Amino acid sequence: MAALKTRRMLVLTCAIATLSTAAACSGEPGALPGSPGASGQGIIDRAPVASAEAIAASPTATAIKQRGQLLIGGSLDAPLLSQQNPATGETEGFDATLGKLLAKYIIGTPDAKIVNSSSETREALLQNSTVDVVFQTYTITPQRAEKVAFAGPYLMSGQAIATMKDKSAIRKPSDLNGKKVIAGANTPGVEAIKAQAPNAEVITFATDPECVQALEQNRGEAYVQDLTLLAASARLNDKIQIVGEPFTSDPYGIGLKHGDDAFKKFVNDWLVRLQQAGIWQQVWKDSLGTVVTGEAPAPPAIGSVPGS
Amino acid sequence: MDVLLDNFGTFAEGVLTTIELTTLSFAGALAIALVIVTFRVSPVRPLRFFGTAYVELFQNVPLLLWILFFVFGLPKLGIQFELFTTAVLAVSMYSAAYYAEALRTGINTVSTGQAEAARALGLGFGQSLRWVILPQALRSVVQPLGNLTVMLLMNTALAAGAGLVELSTAANRVNLVEAEPILIFSGAAVVYALLALVITGVTRLLERRLVIHR
Repeated sequence: MAALKTRRMLVLTCAIATLSTAAACSGEPGALPGSPGASGQGIIDRAPVASAEAIAASPTATAIKQRGQLLIGGSLDAPLLSQQNPATGETEGFDATLGKLLAKYIIGTPDAKIVNSSSETREALLQNSTVDVVFQTYTITPQRAEKVAFAGPYLMSGQAIATMKDKSAIRKPSDLNGKKVIAGANTPGVEAIKAQAPNAEVITFATDPECVQALEQNRGEAYVQDLTLLAASARLNDKIQIVGEPFTSDPYGIGLKHGDDAFKKFVNDWLVRLQQAGIWQQVWKDSLGTVVTGEAPAPPAIGSVPGS
Repeated sequence: MDVLLDNFGTFAEGVLTTIELTTLSFAGALAIALVIVTFRVSPVRPLRFFGTAYVELFQNVPLLLWILFFVFGLPKLGIQFELFTTAVLAVSMYSAAYYAEALRTGINTVSTGQAEAARALGLGFGQSLRWVILPQALRSVVQPLGNLTVMLLMNTALAAGAGLVELSTAANRVNLVEAEPILIFSGAAVVYALLALVITGVTRLLERRLVIHR
């Protein structure tokens, strides 16, 4: 049945600095991320609008302005990042709000439409111009940078480990060796596990709630996922805990059409303006900041990672 | 092409799982279908009812829901198997409903005279089914069974929902790293097509040797 264990031959030891075991989930559930009043309109009013010269310098921005709508490749089911509120129909969260702000920067109004894209399709969507930009926790990698251009990074995150609270066998990434580990299908978690614990058996499920449920059913001993998503899950489910700190660094970029240097500069200039005005920090506080403890982190330096 | 060669290991593992899943689910589905179709044509009313209910239940709910139910629902009721076993069970039980219907069509092609002759020879219900009716029924539905098996192969892709690294999941994983969707998914499609061709080929061979011309 499971005749697929050939990879078990590989042995690699990873020296990992001792990681503290502070759970990263906050205690108090705050206001719903992006709920009206918390951020919503206020931030959009404060956000900058590009000058006519800046728009004219980028043919893509000019075309978007003429169309009157920014087409964004994104998700509608990512809590804290880009989740559609069934009551209002608005998409809320860190990525979703930034998308609206970029639309305002170009068009003057936050007129953005999210085209539901997936990890499998987003390169194609950019290449055939179905969308103008991709806001979807899109990790910048040199390989991907050969297919798409990345503005940013606009957010730094990392993979972290969650286990059931009554388990204590896993304290650091190398402890995953020889264990069954759950990860989201098509997430960087899959590769991160292989890099840190080559002898771990990775089991993937399509969605975050399914992964959490599989963890509860002991289908795996740990669940590796982006810290922001784990924190959201840990807040909803008090049976799971986050073990240690993120063990990778995932720089998220804004996906753009490959080779469109003028538009890349345009988007990067916009990011810098948001950061300098403190708007980036406010968007973070209103979304991820409702779950992750502490002050808003320093925004990442634009162009600071390979591929951006 | 380098992308496909560089990730040969991941692909091979996925293809292997797909083949295992297809083979075991095919065997399971055919076995269940034989039981169900026997129920459906049996003279005992509760068994007939059970057979009909089974077919209706499994044909009228999508396979993906069955897989999710088997993986995430049953453990809540205290029934939990290994993921691979769960996937085989779900795909088998679902496909069995379709196989059973194909077999019933086959049984309908066997003339009533055959059953009467079997009874005249003193064979009971089980014996006449096993020695007279089912062999003829099976031989006349080789082609539909082959088509259903191709469908079963395609359906195994849904087992990705159950956490199995079969061919489509493997392709997804490679694409996650390489970001070459067109090449990678075309590669996976070619493999699926080749596997389907094998099934069609075997079906054609069996049909040529077994089919009854009436």
